[in-house]
Amino acid sequence: MKSKFHQHVLPNGLQLLGESNPANASAAVGFFVRTGARDERREESGVSHFLEHMLFKGTATRSAIDINLELGNLGAQANAFTSEENTVYYSAVIPENFRLMQALLSDMMRPSLDPHEFDMEKKVILEEIALYQDRPHFFLFENAFKDFFGSHPAGNSVLGSHESVSGISRDAMRSYFDRRYSPSNMVLVASGNFSWGDFVADAEQLCGGWTSFPALRDTPRHLMSPGGRTFHRRNLSHAHAVLITAGPAAQDEERYPLSLLAAVLGDSVGSKLYWALVDKGLADSASVDSDERDGTGCFSVYVSASPERLNEVVEIARKIVEKPLEFSDADLERAKAKTVSRIVLDGELPMGRLMSLGMEWTYRKTTTPLEQIISRVQGVGRADIEEALRRYPVREWADYRLLPA
Amino acid sequence: MIHATSLPNGLSVIIEEMPHVESAAYDLLIPGGLACDPESAVGSSIIFADLIGRGAGGLGSRELCEAFENDGIRHGEWVGLDRFGLSGSLIASRLPRALDLVALMVQAPSLPEEEVENIRSVLLQDLEALKDNPARRAMVELNKRYYPAPFNRSTLGDADGLRSTDRERMVALHKGAFGPRGAILSVAGNVKADAVLRDIERAFGDWQGGAAAVPAFGAISPHEYFHVESDSAQMQIVMASPSVKFGEECYYVGKLAVSILGSSMFGRLFMELREKRGLCYSVYARHGANASYGTVSAYVGTTPERAQESLDLLLGGFSSLRGSVSEAELCRAKVNLKSALVMGEESPGSRAASNVTDWWLLKRVRTLQEINEGISAVSVEGIDQFLGRHPFFPCSILTLGREPLRVPAEATSRG
Repeated sequence: MKSKFHQHVLPNGLQLLGESNPANASAAVGFFVRTGARDERREESGVSHFLEHMLFKGTATRSAIDINLELGNLGAQANAFTSEENTVYYSAVIPENFRLMQALLSDMMRPSLDPHEFDMEKKVILEEIALYQDRPHFFLFENAFKDFFGSHPAGNSVLGSHESVSGISRDAMRSYFDRRYSPSNMVLVASGNFSWGDFVADAEQLCGGWTSFPALRDTPRHLMSPGGRTFHRRNLSHAHAVLITAGPAAQDEERYPLSLLAAVLGDSVGSKLYWALVDKGLADSASVDSDERDGTGCFSVYVSASPERLNEVVEIARKIVEKPLEFSDADLERAKAKTVSRIVLDGELPMGRLMSLGMEWTYRKTTTPLEQIISRVQGVGRADIEEALRRYPVREWADYRLLPA
Repeated sequence: MIHATSLPNGLSVIIEEMPHVESAAYDLLIPGGLACDPESAVGSSIIFADLIGRGAGGLGSRELCEAFENDGIRHGEWVGLDRFGLSGSLIASRLPRALDLVALMVQAPSLPEEEVENIRSVLLQDLEALKDNPARRAMVELNKRYYPAPFNRSTLGDADGLRSTDRERMVALHKGAFGPRGAILSVAGNVKADAVLRDIERAFGDWQGGAAAVPAFGAISPHEYFHVESDSAQMQIVMASPSVKFGEECYYVGKLAVSILGSSMFGRLFMELREKRGLCYSVYARHGANASYGTVSAYVGTTPERAQESLDLLLGGFSSLRGSVSEAELCRAKVNLKSALVMGEESPGSRAASNVTDWWLLKRVRTLQEINEGISAVSVEGIDQFLGRHPFFPCSILTLGREPLRVPAEATSRG
């Protein structure tokens, strides 16, 4: 059965999107809020992510325990995540529980921020910060992006620091919520086996009363300067490096050719870096990523290797990515085949479609059927990559390393 | 619709038609693996599982890799304690091509010498990198002490074994017991069973040999508390205790009992440690089982000053479960297990994996109805009886962090 697209906007600006397919065994629903670390003031660092946790901690009519038990009773696969620029709450359930799930998720979007729960959850966040301190790869990325983006907010830390999170008050969180969680700043998406008519009617009843206000974001392009830093940590067994340069924004047409180029150069298997480094046993990991953000973006190369080999590995990687056009037509075709396969496989499950629909609307205010996305990918030729490289030459790098102290 | 058959060479074949999807997936399990590696070369099978993808049937390493990629076939080869696995997912029309490539890897791998060196080098690096991953390291350290040899081996191998093995061992491994007898190939997706079976007969019909002798599973070591020193920001606490095997009468009872305690959404441990006290970010308990043994395992990661309280609550959660489970808790655990089953029905990857695992462990595929009935039949009284027969204590406990914790003697000893 073919899937059907739907869209509708409530009077308060809440955008509704859906792709229904009665052949699916499940249905997914999610709120995509256009807010994240980049929308925080310096003294609020970490509040977006902390607030994401607090949405599970009670509303006017449900306690934290009620929410958890209800998620359990619905057999929901539910979660949420916060990034530099998005906060997403999502769930998949069997079709007969879809409306109850939509009602629960909608209620969660109006949190009570109970003071006792606030204090308790702050401790959980501090534990999460400690957990990531024990992951060197994460430490390097967080510090490298912070330095790379400098005063541009795209480099803001999602978790925040022990100090910044400790200092966040309930009032500060409420004021952040009142600034960012406007219905006009979010999209409610559904996909899979659900009824669009019920979905819209329920959304009107559940979310129609939310007051709208402007929740804007400046999206200047980050102007990069080459540079970099070396970080040291005690008791580190393995070394890591990430090279970063300017790349396409989520709204740029160059994103298609450059993400294919990233796959040609640095997919985890079968790419140029794979053959030069991982296949030969020089590095245990090597990848290239086009990280497209709101109004800006970056293109990065990551490697990890034993500390004594890291210099050699970075040099080899650099030489390869600095000659980005030295690939064959067959290399490009393979990258396309892999990308198309991934799009089809991810798009088959309601949860996969939900993510792709929500993100596309958040960044580009549009929806594209899977077949069109696939033909866009298949239509990319060498000339498109050459053209994209004229705007984003991926040549000047900021070079970050993490080494044992 | 599930079709099961076997080829004259002993390869079992299971095919599930899923006309509502566009993709397909395959899973091939072959007896053998880490538990079969000789003591002097533990980890040989890890190198072997990688090596079969580095050239086969006249295709070089790169050609083989590119052959998969040309058709957008996502594939992986891995090794466990008692089996090798080859799995993949793809657009359904590419299945015949995928089966041909898998057949080449298992029947005619080139096992090139220089690739042995390359793989060894990466695996030794992975082993070093484990030191930078405290949560995973804690689990590896506990398994090493809890399970009887050779089932206590890590899927990362050990440095001496990885260093000492060579191409000769790879050749012997392939010639020895790597074959269709005892192996199972499962396919699910938008396929027609008769056409797939023809493709499988064509690709795998000439494959011969197999049925590696996997050592018998011995007795679990006496339970103890272990501490591993590590200068990490969080203390890792892991525990393990024996439980029912897969397919045993009480299998669903055990699974539901542990989910009431350890689900990371609504479980008691999550509620008590994280939601009520904010002691940790991650806490859970799981029930794992295969044909030879079942295990209840639990994990919590927390900062050192809150570790003792976390451990006490973790142990308290286990010891207070019997006699305290409510109908509502059991009902919630059942709904979740059933809901996960229904959602798994939509994905060829999860169907192929579930079918192959059922066949591996039970020599048949359980129907959805059978599983649902098994889950529905569990009662609160059944859980209490189960916990009487399979108490969590004594268990093995391992902490990884700065200082050891106080562990009550009754948690780890039979006294």
